[in-house]
Amino acid sequence: MKSFIIAYMYPDLMNLFADRGNIICLQKRMQWYGFPCKVQAVHIGTALSFDEVDMVFMGGGSDRGLKSIYGDLASRADDFKQAVEDQLPVLCIGNAYQLLGREYETAEGMQSGLNLCDFYTTLAQERMVGNIVLENSITGQKQFIVGFENHTGKTFLTDKASPFASVIKGYGNNGEDGSEGINYKNLVGTYLHGPLLPKNPHIADYFIQTMVQRRGIRTDWQHTLDDTIEWLAHEQIKSRVLKGR
Amino acid sequence: MRKILAIFVAKLALWASRLLGYGGTDFPGRLARKIYPAILSDLAANIDEEIFIVTGTNGKTTTTNMIAAMIKEEGYTYVHNAAGANMMGGITTSFIEATNLMGTRHFDYALLEADEANVPLLIKEISPRVVLITNFFADQLDRFGELDHTINLIKDAVRGQDIELVLNADDPLVSHFQNETGLHCWYYGFDQTDYDSPSSTHNREGQFCVFCGHKLRYERYHYAQLGKYYCPECGNSNPRANFIAKNLRMSPAIQFEVNDMEIYSPYQGFYNAYNILAAVSLAKLVGMRDEAVQKAIAKYEPRAGRMEIFNIDSKKTILVLVKNATGFNQTLQMLSQDPASKNLFIALNDNAADGRDISWIWDVDFAFLADKHSRPQHYICSGQRSGDMALRIKYDGLPVDHIHISASLKDGILETLSLPGETAYILSSYTALFACRNILLKLQKQYGSPLTAEQQDQSMLTSS
Repeated sequence: MKSFIIAYMYPDLMNLFADRGNIICLQKRMQWYGFPCKVQAVHIGTALSFDEVDMVFMGGGSDRGLKSIYGDLASRADDFKQAVEDQLPVLCIGNAYQLLGREYETAEGMQSGLNLCDFYTTLAQERMVGNIVLENSITGQKQFIVGFENHTGKTFLTDKASPFASVIKGYGNNGEDGSEGINYKNLVGTYLHGPLLPKNPHIADYFIQTMVQRRGIRTDWQHTLDDTIEWLAHEQIKSRVLKGR
Repeated sequence: MRKILAIFVAKLALWASRLLGYGGTDFPGRLARKIYPAILSDLAANIDEEIFIVTGTNGKTTTTNMIAAMIKEEGYTYVHNAAGANMMGGITTSFIEATNLMGTRHFDYALLEADEANVPLLIKEISPRVVLITNFFADQLDRFGELDHTINLIKDAVRGQDIELVLNADDPLVSHFQNETGLHCWYYGFDQTDYDSPSSTHNREGQFCVFCGHKLRYERYHYAQLGKYYCPECGNSNPRANFIAKNLRMSPAIQFEVNDMEIYSPYQGFYNAYNILAAVSLAKLVGMRDEAVQKAIAKYEPRAGRMEIFNIDSKKTILVLVKNATGFNQTLQMLSQDPASKNLFIALNDNAADGRDISWIWDVDFAFLADKHSRPQHYICSGQRSGDMALRIKYDGLPVDHIHISASLKDGILETLSLPGETAYILSSYTALFACRNILLKLQKQYGSPLTAEQQDQSMLTSS
């Protein structure tokens, strides 16, 4: 089987809160399921053809990191947008998520986003920090999602955009409307660090199944993984957050 | 009058919290500041010679304690927040504890370890002669926002003040303070050593030029982002060091020369060589005698949890504090070099003092252990986030049936000690450290014998 390829955008500049854990998780689970998987690091100036990768991942960075990669990513925006329309699985965290919208605010004022989705981000007075519990049905059934958020951006979706999940406890997109992240086709943008995927194996598997189906590979997913530790870590923090501790 | 009341109440609170067995020393200071907000600036006026502040991510406590040992060796009196209470409350407490009821006792020096985020507040209330910055690593980011923000806060706070800076010339995140503050800066750094490498696996924060954002090139790395670097775009490179350490030896103990002074320390690890160099540089700058400096360092012993050895039922049991990815990685490197058969216990909490966000454990690299012969046999994960810790280890490819979860610290430690193996490593984040230490002390009392002189020698190992 031809290896699956995950494009890891700017691993040096966009990994402030150890979001690389998501890449480690995806690659290991693919391997455990029996799908060969390579991670292709994409740096500023690295050639990348979105047609040749199975997924794109970008983590959160510092303001300085975001500034450095902005021009490079903007030059790829048209191809990126087309790939998203073509159902490419994409996961963007923190300010990489903000970058997908129409515009976002930094200490230096309003900046234009890549305009891949219809939302915008303003700067809040107070930082929104803490453990967070969400709920969504992206896998076909209602399930919880746990993580840690740490952002000053307040993101507002327009009517045309759907959130990734709804907030059970925590701030989410803006601390006001109970929405968290964005989901458009197979693109997910979210504020969740933690990292997101290891403690939410169902979300990791959602991306894996999407990648595999896009390749036209038929599988009945008989082969399941032993996720005892994954769910234990998930439950540990979920029960504490829900109890308000 | 309010000043005396504040001192009296805070001393009482300190006495009461000690009596009740609380280690925390933040509260009495905070109380005093409520009663009399100028308490810290008032008491700081009783310092006759100089005030020194030590800040940075790693090595603050060790560096500060070493400087204290030197001042003591010189026979001076000083105020020092020794308990690692490095927020405004804790620093105020240390002044109150040292002074008399009238608040009139004088001291030669004040030596203050300050949390990075507290430096701007501290400088508003007292006037230090020197601020020493050890290094900047991503540490408990959720408390401060981001590293850049912290660095800028400190820069803004010192700019235009009558302060000298003592800086690490090998850290690109620290060394640019001169250009941006215009203050007089003194630099320390390591010359080429036998322990350098051409690449670094744990360098995220400092890879990019702070001036132009271009990727830095390194001639050599000492560890993490510390090393000899230059920016191919704008020419930014290490500043010339005033205090240069040469001929570094790390085995059996740390030895090097700084500007012709020989240094010997029973410590281990490159990060401790940096702590020693930082302390020595400040001592040289303020004119301490070489003999006092050398003597203080040679006999300096590590503090609780900065690597302490217990002997329990003839098993060597080593307690290490781990608080961020850099320190954790250093500890794993060190234990992988220990040829003894061993098991590893890790207690991970996520209280405010540990840092609420534990994502950083995904920047800790266990994968290299997978094919090391000397790797720990079993991994016992404990504390509030035992599941996360176990998950991290699992995803770095270590055998799942050797990863155990025990939410209770005591059960986990007992399990670790009962497994076959010559040595047990007990790693703990901050808020579980004292509980782990108490468990180990009790067990040692019950089953152990005190260490022999030879074992004691080996116990001088340490970790930041």
